[in-house]
Amino acid sequence: MRDRVDEVSRRRFLLTAGVAAATVYGCRLSFAADVDPLLAGRQLVRYPEKTDLILLTARPPQLETPLSYFDRAITPNDAFFVRYHIFPIPTSVDLDQWRLEVKGHVDKPLSLSMDDLKRFPPASVTAVVQCSGNSRGRFAPRVLGGQWGDGAMGNAVWTGARLQDVLKAAGARASALDVTFDGLDKPAFPSVPDFVKALDLQRIMSDPDVIVAYEMNGQRLPMLNGFPARLVVPGWYATYWVKNLSEITVLTDRFEKFWMKPGYRIPDTPCGCVEPGTAPKNTVPITRMTVRSFIASPASGTRVAVNQPVALKGIAFDGGYGIREVQVSDNLGLTWSRATLGPDHGRYSFREWSATWRPTGAGNARLMVRAVNGIGESQGYEPLWNPAGYLRNVIEQIALVVD
Amino acid sequence: MRLLTAAVALTLVVTSAGVAGETVSITLPPESIALDAGRGMDQTQTSCRMCHSLDYITTQPGGGTAQWQGVVTKMMKVYGAPISDQDAKLIEEYLATHYGPR
Repeated sequence: MRDRVDEVSRRRFLLTAGVAAATVYGCRLSFAADVDPLLAGRQLVRYPEKTDLILLTARPPQLETPLSYFDRAITPNDAFFVRYHIFPIPTSVDLDQWRLEVKGHVDKPLSLSMDDLKRFPPASVTAVVQCSGNSRGRFAPRVLGGQWGDGAMGNAVWTGARLQDVLKAAGARASALDVTFDGLDKPAFPSVPDFVKALDLQRIMSDPDVIVAYEMNGQRLPMLNGFPARLVVPGWYATYWVKNLSEITVLTDRFEKFWMKPGYRIPDTPCGCVEPGTAPKNTVPITRMTVRSFIASPASGTRVAVNQPVALKGIAFDGGYGIREVQVSDNLGLTWSRATLGPDHGRYSFREWSATWRPTGAGNARLMVRAVNGIGESQGYEPLWNPAGYLRNVIEQIALVVD
Repeated sequence: MRLLTAAVALTLVVTSAGVAGETVSITLPPESIALDAGRGMDQTQTSCRMCHSLDYITTQPGGGTAQWQGVVTKMMKVYGAPISDQDAKLIEEYLATHYGPR
């Protein structure tokens, strides 16, 4: 499972990691006991309808899911991450009053109640929603923006009306180009850009998995995850998954307001990256998620016993091609062994994986995980960099202490 | 780690329409972050809190004057934060002093 390019990249990784090549091929590396410096000072908080989550910011609220929840495919609603851009956010919604307006370049504008929305044939999709800037706090050089650890992601079964059915019912005109989505969150000042996102109409009409979801894991949505309805755009970053949805507008032109441009853009290069510390020449909107995988159990820093099997568990996901393989390494990538994949919940879902590792000697061990998706894309030894801190998908690792 | 709690109020009004009639209300917990004391703290607190909590400052990578000038300028020019030039300078100095390179 090694190739030349991979090996060159791995050796560079070893050098930059400050590990002398001669000492790596055991599990006896020397490094400090594992403390995540990024999350060390953060509070655990309990918000309405939520369990204990890691506080990034209070207003607008940004809450991160602890890594321990990623040992399973489905993320519980109460542990699901929260990310708003502007404030005030909705804190009370009366379904008798709430309507989803569908307007603009349509033959028949709609004002849908929740009952109306539920009359469309229900569709379900299991899909990962991940913040574009998940793991931004780990960028080097550091970049400004929400300093997330790795918990701005989650996976749920989303149920709702297909967006294409809603747009067909409204008679969206074929000459339209973009469709915009606005929620009940509103700016503090008129000068602050409202959070509005756009999708290409053709993209919507060719993708039956894009839905207006009113259920998450069989329950109504928590308020902070978008009650009463949110957009679900499987495979694409969370920025498009507009919460507390209230307005859908069909446009005859391209929508390029603040949160589409200059917001949420990546370098227009094949990797979406540039030389660290430099600015891209051209940018394009961020869209599809990169391949990632995590070891959620045991937690980094756990003490384990020599010669006793250790059960490794975690998840892998990508932007919609599905996970083909997950591999783990206990020798900094010299060799990789295949993990066992859990049930397949569809190509947009977290894929659970498990593996058994038996430490052969006492000391510090480092375990790495990487995934390969359905079209052969994988993860690198060295992180890619861009100025907004998006698309992170470097090979992740944990440290274990073997006694 | 400290644990904050907040009440959640869920009101269910049963009607014949099934899902219709449900009102969901939540109460957000108070903000608890305080800034380091120093010259310019009052202006910083007042200006920044118009739009967001102060953890937007404290969680950022520490930066020098150039970084914080960039941030304050962005808040004024891009988001239209009503901050006087005089206060802006004070805020930039305060942030670079107390939330500088760490």
